[in-house]
Amino acid sequence: MTTAEHKSDVDTLVRMYRMLARMNRSRPEARGSQTLYFNLLAEYYTRVSNAHRDGKLLAAHTVFFPTEILYAMDIVPMHTEMTTWLHALFLREQAELLAKGAELGLAPEICSPHRGVAGIFAMDAIPHPDVILWSNLICDNTAKAGELMMELSNSPGFFLDNPFQDSPGEMDYLVGELEEMVHFLEEKSGRKMDWNKLSEMIEHTDREIELYREISELRKAVPSPMSIVGYLELLSADYMFPGQPEALQYLTLLRDELKETIQEGKGAVSQERFRLMTLFVPPMYMISSLGNLFEEKGAVSVVEPMFTRWSEGKLDPDRPLESVAKKSFLIPERRSMYGPLSQQALQDITDSAEQYKIDGAIYWAFMGCRHTCATIKVMKDLLNEIDIPMLTIDCDIVDPTITSEEEVRDKLEQFFEMLEDR
Amino acid sequence: MTYSNVTDKLINLERFRIVNRSFPKTEEILDLKRQDRKVFGWLCTYVPEEIIHAAGILPVRITGYTQETELDDGSAYLYINNCSFSRSCLQMGLKGEYDYLDGLVAGSTCDGSRRLFDLWQHYLEVPFHHMLTVPRKYTERAHKLYYEQVVMLKEHLEQHLDTEITDEALLKSISVYNESRELLKKLYQLRMVDKPPISGAETMEVLNASQRMPKEQFNQYLRELLDELAVSGNEYRGRSRLMVTGSVMNNPEFIRSIEELGGLVVTDELCTSTRYWSDPVDVDNHSPLEAISRRYLNNFPCARMVPSERRFDRILQMAHDYKVDGVISQIIRYCVPYAHDIPLLTDRLEKAGIPILALDVEYGTSGSGQISTRVQAFLEMLETRKK
Repeated sequence: MTTAEHKSDVDTLVRMYRMLARMNRSRPEARGSQTLYFNLLAEYYTRVSNAHRDGKLLAAHTVFFPTEILYAMDIVPMHTEMTTWLHALFLREQAELLAKGAELGLAPEICSPHRGVAGIFAMDAIPHPDVILWSNLICDNTAKAGELMMELSNSPGFFLDNPFQDSPGEMDYLVGELEEMVHFLEEKSGRKMDWNKLSEMIEHTDREIELYREISELRKAVPSPMSIVGYLELLSADYMFPGQPEALQYLTLLRDELKETIQEGKGAVSQERFRLMTLFVPPMYMISSLGNLFEEKGAVSVVEPMFTRWSEGKLDPDRPLESVAKKSFLIPERRSMYGPLSQQALQDITDSAEQYKIDGAIYWAFMGCRHTCATIKVMKDLLNEIDIPMLTIDCDIVDPTITSEEEVRDKLEQFFEMLEDR
Repeated sequence: MTYSNVTDKLINLERFRIVNRSFPKTEEILDLKRQDRKVFGWLCTYVPEEIIHAAGILPVRITGYTQETELDDGSAYLYINNCSFSRSCLQMGLKGEYDYLDGLVAGSTCDGSRRLFDLWQHYLEVPFHHMLTVPRKYTERAHKLYYEQVVMLKEHLEQHLDTEITDEALLKSISVYNESRELLKKLYQLRMVDKPPISGAETMEVLNASQRMPKEQFNQYLRELLDELAVSGNEYRGRSRLMVTGSVMNNPEFIRSIEELGGLVVTDELCTSTRYWSDPVDVDNHSPLEAISRRYLNNFPCARMVPSERRFDRILQMAHDYKVDGVISQIIRYCVPYAHDIPLLTDRLEKAGIPILALDVEYGTSGSGQISTRVQAFLEMLETRKK
């Protein structure tokens, strides 16, 4: 594939998001925050597409990577998992990417997003990254993804070793890892870290985390103001633009919309009947139809403890690198998916169930995510103790061939009937 | 595999078999319990056994069923997509097979192992639990972190037992464990020759026992076994010399099934075998705890470590030293660290002219059925290459 073709592939994402934003503008009921979100993604991929033309280093990185550092160094980040699967969803290339991963020798038990990432690198179907950055946060898959990406792209790389538990020694270790990564990036980019800029971003990130907490609080309202579609957008803000004014702009707008919805006495669905806890994330390709089903049944996801419940703590702009390290200990995903299964993580589940007045929980059992699925029984037992039923749905978050939409719909309908009977 | 003059009267091999047949509830372990001695379980080779041993505790490795078994309970608790090793171990725990344990120590080595630890802690009553953070790198910074973790384990144990673990006790334990490593190295060196006196399956039986009984007693039996082998006149031969790599595996029947097809397993890269015994603790210029910490982080690496090249280099070196004709990689389904390495390892081996057979297996498999067919075809291919 030629360089021009790479560009056009990413440009497809830009065009699709611009089109979605335009369509939203013509729909009076569309949320302004969603329109902004589409525009921000279009901007993100424009930067990816133009990185080399603009003389900037393009860094491919795995999920939950501290990209504040990249933004502060004027390096363009490219989120490998998100890019691969947005690309696949819009271009309908899921099967092709997974087949390419299999051709490389990756077993089907390896999580599909990472098989797809290997596939897209082997197909040379995204702009060529100048560096590969990866980390063990959040699992063995992310820890093992980097070396193959380096080999396939023939790019240098840096592995950020994220410690498992939260202790002063481990915090020091992570800060040391970040320092080493900054040196690596300075060498590769020929640019020095702008520490003032990083401090500014930490200030933004801290505000961003506050906004996440405010949004979570607002979702306690009955009826709850945010839909399951909004949940996935909410996650992307921190994944794609952490510390950026765009993230603040999006989260502020979303928060204000939610406040307004509550003040008007409205909810995310016309008639709220079932308040749900979402555990893990539903399949990306099913989001739109799930939104419709939830509207039809009066179901709303009000809390997602594994993804939207940030730990307590503040960042300090005067200690930017320490704050980047600290943020990785505050993110919700770390507590429930990466570190030890602590009492705090378990307490979050029961506290959330009570505070958000949930009627039931849905655990999206993504077959490629072993360490999260290992908590299914623990969570089910905890929720049973407080008389909350939990439905487990086996699925794949990106591969539509694993579970059909009809099957998911049937299970959800039965679950809603059971909740109704209760 | 064919053999000549092979004696089935290796007394010390039989002693190891007795231990393995009754594990987890061996006579030695039950005796210790009757004497009020403590027994701790450990998960993964990044747990420094010497520290547990120096506290006067018997460390035993948690393993699962040595044959394919329905893992209903294991799957119900850990879900179906965790590796069958974790599910098998947890099921044995849930069934009370390890109900004598006074403690459990693990490392944050892979997702399967850490979740096994989490659920063991959550559902099974064990008085002492400890998880070590194990860095994935070899840098000085990583060594500093791991050293701190090792110190924390020692202090946690001291607090729990209300006793001091002295440097003297640590040095004594290091000496016992290093002797064990040296003896196992000698056993492996016997397999470098064209007609080794011990098979791959028998070696696995020795290794299993090494992690299930008091080390001092194991060392004595192994010394005697080496003496027995020296005069046994045993000579094993095979159609091809093989190395087994990949996920955790401690089932001698799997190795035996390969050897019955004519392959001679002369070495391995398994955490239950070579990666368990290789590399002694070097106490020169280090305190006992520093020496232990450096050995465990620098040891023959698991696929979890970065860069993977260090593991690949050691595999290639072993393939050379043991004159290996081919490699059989057995990877348990959902064992992600090893599965991810297959494209890169295959490339390195092929560049070195060593064919690899990559098998997806379940923990405890005996290697029958389709696996047997694939091994047979692999052996035929290796023979064709030799002609």
